[in-house]
Amino acid sequence: MTDTDRRTSDPILETDGLTKRFGGLVAVDDVDFRLAPGELRCLIGPNGAGKSTFFKMLAGRHSPTEGTITFKGEDITDALPHERIRRGMSIKFQDVSVYPELTVTENLQIPLQRDRKRAPEQRVDELLGRISLREKRTVIADELSHGEQQWLEIAMAISLDPDLLLLDEPTAGMTIEETDETVNLIQSLTAEGMAVIVVEHDISFVRQIAEWITVLHNGEVFTEGTVEEIEADEDVQRIYLGEE
Amino acid sequence: MSRLSNSLRAFEGQHTIGNSRRFWIGFCLAVLLVLLFPFVAGVFSVIQMTVFLIWIFVALSLTLVWGYTGIFSFGQNAFFGVGGYLFAIVGGNLIEVTGATNVALLAAILAPALFAALLGYFMFYGRVSGVYVAIITLSVTLILELITSSTTGVTLGRVDLGGYNGINTVPNLTLGYGETAFSFGPVPMYYLVVVLLVALYLGLRYVLNGHTGYVLIAIREDEARTEMFGYDIRWLKLQAFTASAAIAGLGGALYTAWGNFISPPVMGILVAALPLIWVTVGGRQTLLGAILGAFVLQYLDTTLASSLNSDYAVIVLGIIFVVSILVLPNGVIPQIMTYLNDRATDDEHDEQNAQEAGSPTAIGGDEN
Amino acid sequence: MPLIESLLNVLSVIVSSFSTLLLASLGLAIIFGMMGIINLAHGEFIMVGAYGAAIANQQGMPLAISMLVGGVLAGIVGLITERLVIQYLYDRPIDSMVATWGISIILTKIALVAFGPNFPGIGTPFGSVRYGGFSASIYRPVLAVAAISLLVVTYYLFMNTEFGLHARATIQDADTARSMGIDTTRVYAITFVFGSMLAGLAGSLFAPIATVSPTLGSSYIIEAFVTVIVGGANVLLGTPASSALLSLINGGGSQWGGTLLGRVLLLVAAILMIRIQPRGLSSYFINR
Repeated sequence: MTDTDRRTSDPILETDGLTKRFGGLVAVDDVDFRLAPGELRCLIGPNGAGKSTFFKMLAGRHSPTEGTITFKGEDITDALPHERIRRGMSIKFQDVSVYPELTVTENLQIPLQRDRKRAPEQRVDELLGRISLREKRTVIADELSHGEQQWLEIAMAISLDPDLLLLDEPTAGMTIEETDETVNLIQSLTAEGMAVIVVEHDISFVRQIAEWITVLHNGEVFTEGTVEEIEADEDVQRIYLGEE
Repeated sequence: MSRLSNSLRAFEGQHTIGNSRRFWIGFCLAVLLVLLFPFVAGVFSVIQMTVFLIWIFVALSLTLVWGYTGIFSFGQNAFFGVGGYLFAIVGGNLIEVTGATNVALLAAILAPALFAALLGYFMFYGRVSGVYVAIITLSVTLILELITSSTTGVTLGRVDLGGYNGINTVPNLTLGYGETAFSFGPVPMYYLVVVLLVALYLGLRYVLNGHTGYVLIAIREDEARTEMFGYDIRWLKLQAFTASAAIAGLGGALYTAWGNFISPPVMGILVAALPLIWVTVGGRQTLLGAILGAFVLQYLDTTLASSLNSDYAVIVLGIIFVVSILVLPNGVIPQIMTYLNDRATDDEHDEQNAQEAGSPTAIGGDEN
Repeated sequence: MPLIESLLNVLSVIVSSFSTLLLASLGLAIIFGMMGIINLAHGEFIMVGAYGAAIANQQGMPLAISMLVGGVLAGIVGLITERLVIQYLYDRPIDSMVATWGISIILTKIALVAFGPNFPGIGTPFGSVRYGGFSASIYRPVLAVAAISLLVVTYYLFMNTEFGLHARATIQDADTARSMGIDTTRVYAITFVFGSMLAGLAGSLFAPIATVSPTLGSSYIIEAFVTVIVGGANVLLGTPASSALLSLINGGGSQWGGTLLGRVLLLVAAILMIRIQPRGLSSYFINR
């Protein structure tokens, strides 16, 4: 996706002056964010930069102190979380939250059954194939490895065919092989036209996957650019090394 | 026969216990025994049995709302009481007019449901959850006890609410119309309760093993996550809560019709604990656990009460309860099922081993 | 009754209600604030205290000592409960609530079996004061003083002692406290015993004005419970604030329509408060 593409197409997601204050603490500060349909964006920044809070506001878990969120042309700033999901957003938060006592298949059933009584076998199978868990379809989710649980959760998130997928540190705790698999998975999703925002710390992951990066710091958008630009940016390196 | 097993499949699933022919045969036998009971037992025993079965309605309502949906509603007795009082008030007033209690029965189911809908809306749409739901529902139950206790001298139509002594002029359950209305005496009441209970059990099995079951369990396991799949959990919890109230209300109506009596203590702190005790000991995440827990513990209570002393009986029950929470948090029935399943798997393995050992071609392959 | 006397009456009822709520809920608040445990047997600890005091008094002990006996007895019952049951349920708040409900029933019935439905109480000390048509027992304000004194003692214990420091560290972050060498198991046990003793002392203090019976606890438990929840996790500020608020409502209601209305209004107000702010009045005291 070129810069021109990004700027001319109607954004699928747009935030305008998005701010979140917790008492005296400003977690997210006047963030203007634009995402084009089918775009892959990496959101990075040191700890406490406001990435998770930003995500939670997109999801509807936190309500913004100021600012608006527009999704597919509609203002969703006050929309309830489940309403946003129904409009075509899907989220995987940082902490793994599959249903630990249910099997892999049952886990997939939950989102798939939202709009119909029974999830089609085919669809379940297709999703299982994507995350290479076909042989583990009857395994209790708790017994999967951490990386497999992450994949299961991603599969659950994409089972709803979202137009926008938000992933908060999807490769946290994964092995190098698992991280590579995740890169492939996400790239296949964007190839299908899904817009994806990934929050990540793992720089090698970001390098493999990123087209355009947004850097947050102290709740603000610090800078944006391609992987090369960001890696070369001394200011970015400094904020990571800490201004404490 | 296979048509039958196909239709039975709708009642089977991972969310309830018993998914084999053996189970259904056992189930039918049990129901048969229950149906034959009045032929071998005296009227007093039948009356006693009936009330045990009636309280199972409350146990099942608690299992639905707590065991399956994860809502800590400690106020099922409130709905039971509302159902009972409504049956008494409406029935007492209309029996002279219509000669039946049809409307009373309907009112006894709808009023608790409406009440639950309002309370549920207040709580779930206000994002009240977890232990606060427990506190609010328990408080509501006790508030109702306080209110009904203070109705000495208050009369609604023909019915004197009786304050702490309650209403003891409740008519029998009478269904039909005018001259042909049928008044349920002890034995017919027993059979009606059995039929309703079996219907409720099968109905819950059907619902819980299907789509609804998945959704409720998802809410129980991780409400926030389920919301993030686009489920409106407030609305879904409200539905489960209301349905459970209707079930408890039905129990209340049956109870009041059974004893021709309803009084405030059913909504007091001691009696409100009982359904909790039964389903916790029996196994709150299964219907069978709730049913057996409620039945066995009531039976135990009555037996101990007559042989020891009703207070000692309660102490024993209380101890069983506390021990059960510590040692078997999932309840007795699931523990038994796990044991039986393990033994069954062992038997299967033994069979497999025996087959492999005994069959020559299995080892040597094609000996041609 | 002329205005002043009516006002005195209302005031007397409110003060009485305040001290009852504060006394009844203080021990529960500590246990809830510290460990998140909702001890539904708390009412029975109060009952044990009342029985302890009544029995000691019957044996001829002076009143103050009898009351201490009640407190200690409740502390012992609390210790047994904690060691046998509670300690296994710290990470299961709903199960602990349910288990303590069971214990509450057991204790109630044991008292019934051991002592029968009635028990001779303690006479109300200190006499009464009159103003025109208004009369009130002097014991009531004494109760209020006792309630506040216990609050002060609790404050001192938690703010100025080493145990209190360990306890506060454990409340903040049990894992960190443990990694700094604090024996959190011991902290929990001592806190639970302390909370039980407070309950017992409350029961002892209630004994002169209440009917000592096995079901004494049930008259206090739900009110204590909601006072704690409405107060929130901050015991030192939240619980007295909540007691004050709810006693105003209770007192006003009682004056208007009798004890029953007072109780109902209190519970309804508490439910509304929980809905509006589940974390209780404490959240207004904590700055973020």
